[in-house]
Amino acid sequence: MGRGNRRVMTMQVTVELFGIPRARAGVAVTTAVGRCLGDVLADLASRFPELGESCIEGRALRPGYTANVGGERFVTSSDTLLNDGDTVLLLSLDAGG
Amino acid sequence: MHAYHGCYLRVDLTTGSSERIPLEESLLRSYLGGSGLGVAILLRERAAEVEPLSAEASLAFVFSPLVGSPLTTSAKFAVVSKSPLTQRINDSLSSSGFALSGKKTGHDAIVLTGRATEPSVLIIDESGVRLEPAGALWGLPNREAQSRLRERLGADYQVASIGPAGERLVRYATISHDGRHAGRGGSGAVLGSKNIKAIAVRGSHRCSWGDPAALIDFARKLSEKSFGPATAKYRELGTASNLLVFNRLNVLPTRNFQQGSFAGANAVSPEQLGVSREKTRASCAACTIGCEHLYGLRDGQGNVRLEYENLFALGPLCGIDDGEIVLRACQKCDELGLDTISAGGTIAFAMECAERGFLDEPWLRFGDGAALLRALDMIVSGDGIGRMLAEGSRRMAHEIGRETINFAPQVKGLEIPGYDPRGLQTMALGFAVGSRGADHNRSGAYEVDFSQAVDRFNVGPEAAVLAIETEDKAALLDSLILCKFLRGVFTDFFVDSAEMLQLVTGWNVTASELRATAQRIVTDKKRFNILAGWTPAEDTLPERMLNTPLPEDARAMLSSARLSGLVQAYNVARGWTAEGWLPELDD
Ligand code: SF4
Repeated sequence: MGRGNRRVMTMQVTVELFGIPRARAGVAVTTAVGRCLGDVLADLASRFPELGESCIEGRALRPGYTANVGGERFVTSSDTLLNDGDTVLLLSLDAGG
Repeated sequence: MHAYHGCYLRVDLTTGSSERIPLEESLLRSYLGGSGLGVAILLRERAAEVEPLSAEASLAFVFSPLVGSPLTTSAKFAVVSKSPLTQRINDSLSSSGFALSGKKTGHDAIVLTGRATEPSVLIIDESGVRLEPAGALWGLPNREAQSRLRERLGADYQVASIGPAGERLVRYATISHDGRHAGRGGSGAVLGSKNIKAIAVRGSHRCSWGDPAALIDFARKLSEKSFGPATAKYRELGTASNLLVFNRLNVLPTRNFQQGSFAGANAVSPEQLGVSREKTRASCAACTIGCEHLYGLRDGQGNVRLEYENLFALGPLCGIDDGEIVLRACQKCDELGLDTISAGGTIAFAMECAERGFLDEPWLRFGDGAALLRALDMIVSGDGIGRMLAEGSRRMAHEIGRETINFAPQVKGLEIPGYDPRGLQTMALGFAVGSRGADHNRSGAYEVDFSQAVDRFNVGPEAAVLAIETEDKAALLDSLILCKFLRGVFTDFFVDSAEMLQLVTGWNVTASELRATAQRIVTDKKRFNILAGWTPAEDTLPERMLNTPLPEDARAMLSSARLSGLVQAYNVARGWTAEGWLPELDD
């Protein structure tokens, strides 16, 4: 496998954080790597321990949190496949108030 | 009977007389309390057929079986009447000491009918029921009126009042207690039409509980859960933190629903407002969550409670990107006693009418903070355009004509909360069929849109059942009564609710019984509306929100045909006719 191919396998996504995830990570936007939502969450948890502790359990979101891809699809399954360049939003599940 | 007094107090304000009307255990078990019991009492009082601002109209303050128990967030009461804004059922909820002391007067509800001969205060205490002249209290803003009345009567009274908006019969005036409001639909105008500035309650009648020891144990565990992650957003950030999420998803109603995102969102976000401002937290009585976040005004003129709905309605909806103006507008609404969603919605509608030349008000422009504050004052003074603004956007549109009704931001006359239905189409259904009009507290259908269950841009009839589930949960929460912000902590809400109710009442209640109870309550709200003149044509959205996408997102488009299909699926799933009539009333 050449270098170029390896780069394609390591996909990078932009992560926008809102509400509690933003407060815990201390940033509004970051990048993360991974082929699926679980990879991205694990990457974030390793770099933002407070976010990991509050919102992520292993490779999954804790109850009360959700993710959205591209402002369109809401997803919670860790197996959700992502594309290079996707934007993932992390937010609290309770939208109401 | 545990948890109830088994009666309601009916006060005839015309004569000053009052009587205790028995409430049978079977009726209480069927409707519980709060919204449910309120609707049942109003149907009994034949309130659907009368003009809501007439002397004959009834206004019910309704407590619940959980009030006074150690269960967190249970210190709540409902105010139920026919709405002067929508001419349909209106149930608004509020919190704190008035619920606790009101129930301790020895009644499960207090129902007012008639009209006092002069501006008055109603006092209900151990010595009975009496009317006293309101005197100098009439005209005062809420906080001052409440504190002066407590100075006069004693700090052990709890007071609910109307502000100047209720006195002037503004159709979306609130009833205020301790900084919180029974906000939507104009119950403050109903109280004002009865010449009542305030109600003061004090009592010593406590209810017994079915299983006190187990209740205390359950309450302790519930409180512990309420400190957990399910409520972190409410505790740490407050509901206003929705603003940037909604803006990102293009569902933040902006400039009278002309857009779904606002360039100035960051500037008015709580994240930004918190910088260089004093920030404090508060809570309703008997609540372990404490979702209220208050922001200090720059000139030291007080701290203002800020919630998402106030923020969206007095900010982006009116094109305002100045946080200080939004806070001042919120404070004004609190003191005058105005529903912030309807005030913001009606002013935003007027701003668009003025910009498009349908109103000759050159000062009234989107983004102009001084114009917003001036318009709020005019609503209550009745000066100039204020007379029309006080009627709400639907009546205003009918008066202006020129098809402005197509962009009046309302359903059944109630201004739409901060969820753009084009990008949240299960919520669009919830708004369209809502018994009190467009409402996020009676339908939590946005939760479905924020899940994997549907494509929020292309919702099919299968969403109807999911929308019904959120509406039934809300009906039960509003009748038990518990705060909606607690809903995330339950493992199975109906099972947990059955256990709570069993512990307070001693009844052998099951989750399936409570599901049936919730459905009965929703159906009886519909029954009330049918008696009040409901027709299927009301269950829709304004023309602006149909058949045309949001400018930011071509996918955010809801066709009339799709909405009709959703409404029909909802009606059928409810067991009503496809048009929405109740089978037993359908000839
Ligand atoms: S969570 Fe907020 S609204 Fe609910 S009872 Fe507590 S303080 Fe009141």
